[in-house]
Amino acid sequence: MKMNIPQPTGLPAEPGMPARKKASFWKQVSRNRFLYMLLVPVAIYLLVFKYAPMFGEIIAFKNYRLADGIWNSPWVGFEQFEKLFASREFYVVLKNTLLLNLYHLLFAFPVPILLAILLNEVRVEWYKRTLQNLLYIPHFISWVVLGSIVIALLSPSTGFVNYLLKGFGLEPIYFMADKLWWPVSFIVSGIWKEAGFGTILYLAAMASIDPTLYEAARMDGASKLRQTWHVTLPGIRSTIAILLILQVGKMMDVGFEQVYALRNDAVTSVAEVISTFVYTRGLVNLQYSYTTALGLFQSLIALILVVSVNRIIKAMGERGLW
Amino acid sequence: MNERSSSPAWFRWLNYIFLALCAYATLFPFINIIATSFSSSRAINAGEVFMWPIEFNLDAYNNLIRDGQLIVAMKNTVIITLVGTALNMLFTIMAAYPLSKARLKGRNVMLMAILFTMLFSGGLIPNFLLVNTLGLVNSYWALWLPALISAYNMFVMKSFLEGLPEELEESAAIDGASEFTILWRIILPLSKPVIAALTLFYAVGWWNSYMNVLIYIRSTDKLSLMVKLYQMIDLVSTELLRGEGVLQAVITPESIRAAAVVFAIVPILCVYPFLQKHFIKGVLLGSIKG
Repeated sequence: MKMNIPQPTGLPAEPGMPARKKASFWKQVSRNRFLYMLLVPVAIYLLVFKYAPMFGEIIAFKNYRLADGIWNSPWVGFEQFEKLFASREFYVVLKNTLLLNLYHLLFAFPVPILLAILLNEVRVEWYKRTLQNLLYIPHFISWVVLGSIVIALLSPSTGFVNYLLKGFGLEPIYFMADKLWWPVSFIVSGIWKEAGFGTILYLAAMASIDPTLYEAARMDGASKLRQTWHVTLPGIRSTIAILLILQVGKMMDVGFEQVYALRNDAVTSVAEVISTFVYTRGLVNLQYSYTTALGLFQSLIALILVVSVNRIIKAMGERGLW
Repeated sequence: MNERSSSPAWFRWLNYIFLALCAYATLFPFINIIATSFSSSRAINAGEVFMWPIEFNLDAYNNLIRDGQLIVAMKNTVIITLVGTALNMLFTIMAAYPLSKARLKGRNVMLMAILFTMLFSGGLIPNFLLVNTLGLVNSYWALWLPALISAYNMFVMKSFLEGLPEELEESAAIDGASEFTILWRIILPLSKPVIAALTLFYAVGWWNSYMNVLIYIRSTDKLSLMVKLYQMIDLVSTELLRGEGVLQAVITPESIRAAAVVFAIVPILCVYPFLQKHFIKGVLLGSIKG
C-alpha cells in the first residue's frame, strides 16, 4: 500500500532548515484539524477494541485466572501449547475444521460458477432478474433460522425429506445425528445459503466480456458448450482465481454461527471446529489460557495463509488484496 | 433479446426449467416452514405438510403472542439493529472521509493499522476478557462497541469517496463553507449509493447475528430474537438424540417453532424486494474498488 503524499507546501525540504519544516508540518496538521478530529475517536476505538485484545493474547503464555487478572497471572511459557498439541481433541478439532473447508472447496465453491453460467444464458431479462432475486434470499437470513429450517426439514419423524424417503419405501435417515450425513447436510445448507448470492461477482465479470468474442467463436462454428469453455470461463478466470485463493486463505476458519446452529451432541466428533471449541471450552468451561493458545495458533496460521495468498495473487499478475 | 442466443431451443428451455427448479428448491424450505406454522399438530407429526397448510389454524401464533417472549426479543433486536447500524455508519464515515484524502499526513499509518485488523485479530477470549474488564457484560454496548467499524466496509466507503471529484470541495471551500458543511451538505448526499449499501449490510448483520448476544448478554429479557429462537431449536435437537417421547413435555411443538421462524424472517422478506438492488450494488462496489 504505497501512496504518494504530495508535498502541499512549496518549500523544498532541504537540510539545514528543520525549523521551517517542522513549522510546516504543524501548519498542515492544523489546517486539517477537522479531519484529524474525526480520526481521534476512530484511533481510540482501534487501540481499545482491536489492538488491546491482540495484546491480550499473551494469556496464552500464562495460566490465566479471573481473580488474578492478566498482569498477575503466572507465566507458564509454552505449557498451554504443549498441552494442546499433546491432546487428542486438538487433532480432532483441527481435522474437522480442515475437512469441512475442503468439502466446501470441492462441492460448494463451484456451484455459483455453474449457476452464473446458466443464468448468463437466460436472455429474457425479467425472468433472469426474478430468478436472481429468489436465489439471493437465503443469503440474508440468519443461520439460526436456516439451521432450524434444515433441522425441521430433515427430522426423521416429521421432516418432509424423510416423508419422501418413506414414501419410496426407504428407511428414514437421522441426517443431523449421523456422522456421515451431518457433513453432507452442513455443506448442502451452505450451498443453499450462499450459492445464489455468490453468482453476483461472476455475473458482473461475465457482463464485461466483449460480445465480439462470442461472435467470433460462433463464426468459427463453436457450439454453446465450446463458447462457454473458450470465452466465458477465460473471461471470469481472474474472478474465480481471486475467490478461490481467498477461500483457501480461510482454511483455518469455519464460521461459528453455521456450525453452532446445526450441531448437536451426537455429531461432536465430526462437527466440533476450532471456533465452537474455543467458545465451549473457553467461555463455558472457563479454560481461558488453553483456548487462547488454540485461538492464537489459528490466527497465526490464518495470517500466514492470507499473506502467502496475496503474494500468489500478485505473482499471477492480478491486483492483490493490498 | 440480443443476437447471442445461438443455443438450440431445447437447451434454452431446459436451462429455463432447470433454473426455475433451483429457485424452487431454494424457496421450498421457507414455504414448507410457513405452511407448517399454520398446520395442526396431527398433520405435522404425520409428516403431511408440503406447501400448503393442512388443517389450517393460528394456534401457534396465538401461543407465541400470548407467551410474549418473542415479542420482547424482537423489540430488543430492533434496538440492537437501529443503534448498532447508526453507530457503525457514524464511525465508518468518520474513518473513511479523512482517510480518503491523499494529502492527510499519517494516513498510511492509519490505513495499515486498519488493514492489519482484517488479517489478525485478538480472538474470542481476549475480546471477552476486555469487554468483561470494561464492565460491559450484559449491556448492549458489549455488542456495539467492539464492532463499531467493519474494516472491509470502511475500505469500500473510502474508495468510493476517493472517486468523488476534488473540485467540488474546493469550490465550496472558496465559497466559505465550513468543513463540516462540506461533509454534510456535499459529500454525504453524493455518497448515497454507498451509504445505502453499507447501512443495509450493517443492519442485516445486526439483525441476524447471535454469537455476540450468546456471549455477552445474560438476562433473559435482554436476549435477541435469534438467540431466543436458538434456544427453541436447541431443545428439539436434543429430541433427535434421545428418541421421541422422552423429552416430549419440554419440547416446543413443531408448529410453534415454525411460527417463531416465520416471525424472524418476515421482517427481512418484507424489506427485501425494495432493498435488494442496493445490496447488489454494494457487493459490486466492494469488489471493483475495494
